[in-house]
Amino acid sequence: MTRRQLYTGIVAMLACGVIFVMPFLFVFLTAAKTRHEAQALTFTWPSEWQLWQNFMDVIEARNYMLFLAYFNSTVITVVAVTLLVLFGAMVGYVVQRRPSRWNTLIYGFVLAGLMIPPAVVPTIWVLQSLGLFKTISGMILIQIAYGLSFTILLFRSFIAAIPRDLDEAAIVDGAKPLQIFFRVVLPLLKPVTVTVIVVQSIAIFNDFTNPLYYLPGRENVTVQLTLYNFQGQFQTQFNLLFMNILLVTIPPLIVFIFFNRQIVAGMTAGAVKG
Amino acid sequence: MTSVVLQDVRKSFGSLDVIKGIDLTIEAGEFCVFVGPSGCGKSTLLRMISGLETSTSGKMFIDGKDVTAAEPSERGIAMVFQSYALYPHLTVAENIGFGLSLARRPKAEIADKVKQTAETLQLAHLLDRKPKALSGGQRQRVAIGRAIIRNPKVFLFDEPLSNLDASLRSQMRIELTELHAKLGATMIYVTHDQVEAMTMADKIVVLNGGKIEQVGSPMTLYNQPATPFVAGFIGSPKTNLFEGETAAQEGCRIYGIRPEHLTLSTTDGKWKGAVRYVERLGADAIVYLDVPGLPSLVVRTDGDRRLEIGEKLFASPVAGKEVRFQ
Amino acid sequence: MVARKSPYPYWFVLPAAVVFTTLFLAPTIASFWFSLTRWDLFTTQFIGLENYKQFFREPFLIKGLINTVIYAVTTSAAKTVLGLLLAVLLTSGIWAQGALRTIIFFPVLVSTIGVGITFSVLMHPTRGLINVALATLGIHGPGWLTDPALALYSIVVVDVWKGVGLATVIYIAGLASISPDYYEAARIDGATRRQMFFRVTVPLSKPATVTVVTLSLIGGLRSFDLIWAMTKGGPGFSSDVLASVIYKQYQAGFYGLSTAGNVILFLLIGLIVLPLTAWFNRKEIDL
Repeated sequence: MTRRQLYTGIVAMLACGVIFVMPFLFVFLTAAKTRHEAQALTFTWPSEWQLWQNFMDVIEARNYMLFLAYFNSTVITVVAVTLLVLFGAMVGYVVQRRPSRWNTLIYGFVLAGLMIPPAVVPTIWVLQSLGLFKTISGMILIQIAYGLSFTILLFRSFIAAIPRDLDEAAIVDGAKPLQIFFRVVLPLLKPVTVTVIVVQSIAIFNDFTNPLYYLPGRENVTVQLTLYNFQGQFQTQFNLLFMNILLVTIPPLIVFIFFNRQIVAGMTAGAVKG
Repeated sequence: MTSVVLQDVRKSFGSLDVIKGIDLTIEAGEFCVFVGPSGCGKSTLLRMISGLETSTSGKMFIDGKDVTAAEPSERGIAMVFQSYALYPHLTVAENIGFGLSLARRPKAEIADKVKQTAETLQLAHLLDRKPKALSGGQRQRVAIGRAIIRNPKVFLFDEPLSNLDASLRSQMRIELTELHAKLGATMIYVTHDQVEAMTMADKIVVLNGGKIEQVGSPMTLYNQPATPFVAGFIGSPKTNLFEGETAAQEGCRIYGIRPEHLTLSTTDGKWKGAVRYVERLGADAIVYLDVPGLPSLVVRTDGDRRLEIGEKLFASPVAGKEVRFQ
Repeated sequence: MVARKSPYPYWFVLPAAVVFTTLFLAPTIASFWFSLTRWDLFTTQFIGLENYKQFFREPFLIKGLINTVIYAVTTSAAKTVLGLLLAVLLTSGIWAQGALRTIIFFPVLVSTIGVGITFSVLMHPTRGLINVALATLGIHGPGWLTDPALALYSIVVVDVWKGVGLATVIYIAGLASISPDYYEAARIDGATRRQMFFRVTVPLSKPATVTVVTLSLIGGLRSFDLIWAMTKGGPGFSSDVLASVIYKQYQAGFYGLSTAGNVILFLLIGLIVLPLTAWFNRKEIDL
């Protein structure tokens, strides 16, 4: 490494430290302060560490609403992602393996799904007619509907790299379509499945807009909604507000630590092919 | 007219010595080929001459000028890459004129020089095309055009024919040799293909493990290989090389004789063996003999000759064509 | 050859198709109809293009439309330029390059609401850390989110802060695909670093640029979370965008107007992104 590279790196690290790291540090430090000290909103070391106490206070707020929120968010994320993987892989598989006139149509819909903003009020109208408005199941189905485009795109391009020979060998062995899919193709899709799971989990967990529209009310809150709603309550308790932010940030952080490579790979998919 | 002189040039990557002391003089106007197996350092050496790689020690002179520390653009060289490095977003004309446009030459001057260069290489009708619309041979000519327009003192070629199919390769070999004759420029050419080396070079530099095995004209290397490595590398099929007792009997450490310098007889000869395998190539036949005491003996003979597996034959070396290494 | 049932049955598409059609396509198609109605809790009444006329008449609705375009274009431009520059920096072999990539990318994964709240606090005109820090340098910091002329742009800055990491990562992947031969050939031709950037790097990273610009434009046009968390479209409606207008009209019970907003957003995205993509693909490079 040349000296220039070293110095540039140091300068860059200082700049990025201030710009990108400090806000997170601020959140963490404030989340550890007492209520009084937190109100000052200064970037200082807590004189008294109240991390655990703040943590408990936030969890207990409004009858342990945070527990409920975490539970709901988790259920929505897990179920939605599972079905997304399944449905998305099935479509990607058929579209890639079976060239037909329908493919352009399906492609058009996939692209539409990426671009078109969901028509929220009509969607509420549809959900209401199906009795799914304000329900967790409705939210799950919405997340699937909105996440399909990206998922199908990823699976399709990955399946293109799996040789047809494997399918054909299975056919010769007498496998039926479902068997080929589940026992031959799906296992080989593990890398892209991991990527889809990771990327979609974070997206669904962090989603605010859709729960705002489709899950109003107290019974079915999600983590992001709770954070938003607590803003009012914690106006004079910044330590608790920031503890809440911290708690909301931790799951994606954990996923990021373990799956950094997959996240980056998923998000750059299609960037280079042009 | 320029010469290239390398004095004790060395290159290490950390503790790994890649080029281990090269002394070499390339005369003005020569077509000099660096040849050797993968990893012998030939590309590295070329890149060091170009300035894209620095040397760890030693000196380099182009046209008498010390260029050891000079940037590539200051050395008076031009390079044709294995991948051609043609910018896909530029037309043929823009690709060839790229260097001049970087130097901010006036547009008229660039257009003029590009036209001249294109005519030399029969590319004039392709000037508005993009690289993706060209054939492999055409792309290569554009890459050469980009080099010619710089009017360099030395042309450097880094395995330019590797990406072409066999028939195109032989055609381009001839074109390159004719180009050299026309321009009379000093050219350094890297390849792993000893056929290209033999047919195109005025002077061949055989490299192995970062050192020069031998420098000489093609026929010199063929008839008087300086080392067993050169004897085995130049010529196809490979020279028969023997060590141990057989060599000792011949009065040397390693004894070599080329397959084409052995004659076959059914009645008598130096070595007796059984035919293990025959490869018929049409004009020639390559015969693999199992001779007791030798690993195997490869003989080249007439394509028409009748041969049977298991047949007993005698092989004898042609006088004066044996090589002995101490 | 006997006609056989394909091992790739069409019905595989069914589950996805059902969910997608019911909850995405149908509402989208319905939105065209609903946008032409006065629609509230109780009634649906056809009123033709009245909603659209309103959109272009009421100042606060027009403002939302204009803001949406401003927001999308500024965030997209900033992310594209900064993303490329950062990518070049972070592939040049500087010290701690890997750690820097991670640091810059992490905000992409964090809750937008969390980011919005954090920066609202940091941007508080008197107590916020940013203005407090500026005060120590003797600079009187403005009301980032309280000044109507500034609010939208403050949010733009936060949006870029959060999103530039994704652009950078996409560009890093794009840069990796540029063969070093191109740079070496330019070096032999005597190109300066500046020339190499503009005449080799930029043209050859076009696929990545297309992706970054398209994604950030679409995201910017649809942006809601950050704006809602930081200003709710305020002060007044100076930082409203189409997405927040859609929500506000929904909250107020003007469903028809809200849906009209959705259609306008849809058309806006189409009008901007489709010609752009076509233009990008026309000047195609085949690598």
